[in-house]
Amino acid sequence: MKISVITFLTLFLPFFFFGQNPVSGTVTDNSGVPIIGANVYLDGAYDGASSDVNGKFSFETSETGTQTLIISYVSFEPYKLTDDVSKMQNLKITLRDDVNSLETVTISAGSFSAGDNSKISVLKPLDIVTTASALGDFVGALQTLPGTTTVAEDGRLFVRGGDASETQIFIDGIRVFTPYSPTTDNIPTRGRYSPFLFDGITFSTGGYSAEYGQALSSVLLLNTIDEPAQEKTDIAIMSVGGGLGHTEKWEKSSLSLNASYINLAPYIAILPDRNDWQKPFETASGEAVFRQKIGNGLLKIYGAFDTSNFALTQEDVNQSEGVHFKLNNQNFYTNASYSEVLNEGWTIFGGGSYTYGNTKVGIDEAEIKDVENSAHLKLKLKKRFSNRFKLDFGAEQFVTGFNENYDEPNFAVKLGFNNNISAAFTEADIIFSRKMALKLGVRGEYSELFKELTVSPRASFAYKTGKHSQLSLAYGDFFQQPENEVLKFTNDLEAQHTQHYIMNYQYAANNRIFRAEIYKKQYSNLVTYNEAIPDVNSVFTNSGDGYAQGLDLFWRDNESIKNVDYWVSYSYLDTERKYKNFPFEATPSFANTHNLSVVAKYWISDWKSQIGFSYQYGSGRTYTDLNEPGFLQKKTRGYNSLSLNWAYLLSQQKILYFSINNAFAFKNVNGYQYANTPDSNGNFARRELRPAADQFFFVGFFWTISDDKKDNQLDNL
Amino acid sequence: MQNIITYLTLFFTVLVMQAQTETTTVNADAAPTKYQQGMQKAFQLWQDDKSWEAANVFERIATAEPDNWLPPYYVAQINVINSFTEKDGTKLKAQLDKAQNFINDATAISKDNPDLLVLQAQLYTAWIVFDGQQYGMTYSAKASELYNKALALAPNNPRMILSKAEWDMGGAKYFGQSVEPYCKDIQRAIDLFATFKPAGEFYPTYGEERAKQVQAESCK
Repeated sequence: MKISVITFLTLFLPFFFFGQNPVSGTVTDNSGVPIIGANVYLDGAYDGASSDVNGKFSFETSETGTQTLIISYVSFEPYKLTDDVSKMQNLKITLRDDVNSLETVTISAGSFSAGDNSKISVLKPLDIVTTASALGDFVGALQTLPGTTTVAEDGRLFVRGGDASETQIFIDGIRVFTPYSPTTDNIPTRGRYSPFLFDGITFSTGGYSAEYGQALSSVLLLNTIDEPAQEKTDIAIMSVGGGLGHTEKWEKSSLSLNASYINLAPYIAILPDRNDWQKPFETASGEAVFRQKIGNGLLKIYGAFDTSNFALTQEDVNQSEGVHFKLNNQNFYTNASYSEVLNEGWTIFGGGSYTYGNTKVGIDEAEIKDVENSAHLKLKLKKRFSNRFKLDFGAEQFVTGFNENYDEPNFAVKLGFNNNISAAFTEADIIFSRKMALKLGVRGEYSELFKELTVSPRASFAYKTGKHSQLSLAYGDFFQQPENEVLKFTNDLEAQHTQHYIMNYQYAANNRIFRAEIYKKQYSNLVTYNEAIPDVNSVFTNSGDGYAQGLDLFWRDNESIKNVDYWVSYSYLDTERKYKNFPFEATPSFANTHNLSVVAKYWISDWKSQIGFSYQYGSGRTYTDLNEPGFLQKKTRGYNSLSLNWAYLLSQQKILYFSINNAFAFKNVNGYQYANTPDSNGNFARRELRPAADQFFFVGFFWTISDDKKDNQLDNL
Repeated sequence: MQNIITYLTLFFTVLVMQAQTETTTVNADAAPTKYQQGMQKAFQLWQDDKSWEAANVFERIATAEPDNWLPPYYVAQINVINSFTEKDGTKLKAQLDKAQNFINDATAISKDNPDLLVLQAQLYTAWIVFDGQQYGMTYSAKASELYNKALALAPNNPRMILSKAEWDMGGAKYFGQSVEPYCKDIQRAIDLFATFKPAGEFYPTYGEERAKQVQAESCK
């Protein structure tokens, strides 16, 4: 009888019979603290439970034989155990931290990032365009970060004692050869590309990844938007010109177009500056980004064209009638990249860019015509072995062809060179735990022009010192070819070299960030020549060297004062170098000792307005006083500028925008120009190099037309 | 931005209460399947204010029912809703990443599903609520587009009408404009809720109470 009951149950109610397999155990983190609420279950079955306050779980299952038990909890790596169900009792399970978590240490030495989902953003996407002094130029916004030097008359980025050519700009990982519109002395340039098309910016002031080369001091990485949020049309009417933008979306692709026209003639007619303009600055530009999804891949094609021209007469101490300068430039840049996530943790990225730059410059009688054709090709593979170990490797090729025709009434010369560089790099990212991460890389470059191979190791390390703080270290070797201005005369040179040593401390919590960074940079192989302005007869060598060291501080606080977001940057820089025609090591005129920036933004809800404030101070810059012995022995007085802006939302899609640069009209002197020959008393006359205008006013009206009637161009200002 | 935030937080509190009334739709005729038992258990836990345990049950069901978009939808929804009150950025990111993974899973099963689009928009909103300065501009544009798309896919679904109208009203209030143009949409949603039948068992049904509340508060 007994037997038949069992048989009956076995046959008809297997559920009862086998339903008694207990599964039980405890879940803790790696320091033994119980995890409450972890989800414990058999894969593919309904059976499971949540762990209790002591991390204990138990449930019963009707499943038999080999099963997979999964334990998952937010911010831990899921744990899998495959075994016979009967053995799944009194388990002791330790979950490992998920290193993808925000709490994981990040290597922050040397780099600032602005973006949506970067772990710690020093700048937010909006900052690029709402910083009062920046006037919509992303370079202008970056100049409020520590590590940069105020060189107001130039407009480019000068990083940690390096000159502007030592910073390279990349769009979607591909190099931009001519990122700035050419200009003349004492008229600051602007970045060519509108911030409108980018959604991620990383600015590295040193110690950057082996993926990037040909930059002695710094790299600026810009990423175009992968997928625009919506279709819209943007119209901008400004006191200096106008702009039109449109984005169109389809099922798997999208196209953004942006055109702008700037003409300073009306502005200069109302507010004349110190220059005598025959043809005020005029530029027309167009940009387009096309994106297409192909399976798991994304193709992006970016193109930008701009043409600009101006003509003016600038005061000159050696020529009482002034120097006549005219410039006409056409620049075309295109960049295509394709990235795809392949199987088994592989990602492939391939891309290329082509730059055509044509510049005609007239200085008094001389006519100079430059044509640059440059290309960059890159292929990169990434293998993700686990969350904790990733390997990148790739190869790239840079090609530059440069030709210059120089014509004067009694003299003419043709110059040019071809510069091909091949490079390969590899880099490993190792995350030991949430507390410790290491990045090791090496880059090799071969220059066809110099027949020279350079090898640059790079390393960075980060360690979490507390819940909100971390320490990072970085080291790297960096090589860069001399500029076109030198290569057009000689190719009997070597690459210039720097070494960076960086130590960074970062504290970030509750919308406050504090960063402190000390660094030392050692320069060697810098190009020197024996004349003030090099020419075909100059003697060039690689015998220059130098150093830069200093401290950068950054504090941003978006919490303490309601509706106010502000940041303060301070940089201390000590640098000397021997390069160009320097007779000995000296502090170059673009490097000053103290730089301070204070930027604040105040949102006034009742006025629907954002008021912005930006103050910049730079201590005096060196110049050579010809009336006293020495070289770069004197310093100008400090630079001060306070800029204000006001964005007023007329309605959801219409914005009125005003800004004033140098609102208090501080009188700034960037340097002095001395006469070539002394006067009858043996004195060299000099002239102050002042900005063309002390102040700049801007008024704009921005109107966005989109389906949702909500988007506006606040992010373009 | 603050107004939008208060507004949406309110909306989600109500949403939670309504999602839980779900439990009553049980097929009484046949013996409940494991799936039905599991779903009922999850909704019961949710109603008993044990939303994380409910999420765990939904997650288990999701592994056992790889072709059903509802379990991952509810896992994501619980993570999104709980993120609106989360102040710790680390936790918030972990929860929203998890929600995003489950939305991705659900979307792979059910493409162009207006309820999933609205949930995705709500996920973006959670980021905006957390840090409007950082995420406001990009994510509000994305959310707007999702509401438009959801409404285009289901023009007569009262929940889509309500979601879009509320989003637009939030924007209008923020800019001090009249919300009156959207009141007719709210009325239309209320009318449609009266006869609304979910497409299947355990499908989302929330929204009617909220629509009436919005009407009472904003449309006199």
